[in-house]
Amino acid sequence: MASMEKRLHKELQALTKEPPRGVHVDQESISRNITEWLVHLDGAEGSLYNGEKFQLVFKFSQSYPFDSPQVMFVGNNIPVHPHVYSNGHICLSILTDDWSPALSVTSVCLSIVSMLSSCTEKKRPPDNAIYVKTCSKNPKKTRWYYHDDDV
Amino acid sequence: MKMAVIDPAENEVNKNIWIAVGTWRWVANDDNCGICRMAFDGCCPECKLPGDDCPLVWGECSHCFHIHCIVKWLNSQQVHQLCPMCRQDWKFKE
Repeated sequence: MASMEKRLHKELQALTKEPPRGVHVDQESISRNITEWLVHLDGAEGSLYNGEKFQLVFKFSQSYPFDSPQVMFVGNNIPVHPHVYSNGHICLSILTDDWSPALSVTSVCLSIVSMLSSCTEKKRPPDNAIYVKTCSKNPKKTRWYYHDDDV
Repeated sequence: MKMAVIDPAENEVNKNIWIAVGTWRWVANDDNCGICRMAFDGCCPECKLPGDDCPLVWGECSHCFHIHCIVKWLNSQQVHQLCPMCRQDWKFKE
């Protein structure tokens, strides 16, 4: 088994056994293909997204965890948030420049829940229209600028 | 009255062989490598046997990894070489 698959199986085991609140892996999606995970995420209680349900897709390359996973929102409910584009792309530094192989699906999910929870006003990024028209399908191909740490 | 006397010399057990059983552990501050998530007492996913063929290394920040895992990570970093756990500059502990 490739080392990437070994690590993904370990993560899946841990996440299935002790899932953090509001995070659960779609087992069916993984039984087809371990390199692509569908993860269900609940908006946290007490946040603007309380009661909302979201879906994230994780795609892993053969170099995972040395290479960060490709992570984006999918489905019919893309959170309205200043760092989430309407095509599901997420502007979050740990997904590119600040990735570390010590991070995991669980820690990425928790970071995203936390990013949503600290939001004070539901709105799209200011450049949403132009970005979704011109960007690559793969959010990792976008050169992100991380400048706003407040939300 | 007769008394049985046991001659200790006749009851001596001859010990010709002895089999020693030893165990070993890496003395690390964690059970698993933070990069591959495999046990430190096992080996990294690329190796077959734990032990000297797949040793652990420590950084000056005191975090420890399989040498193969941390080297692979450092080689994949172009600008800064940071510890995956604490993001301090990675320096091998002498």
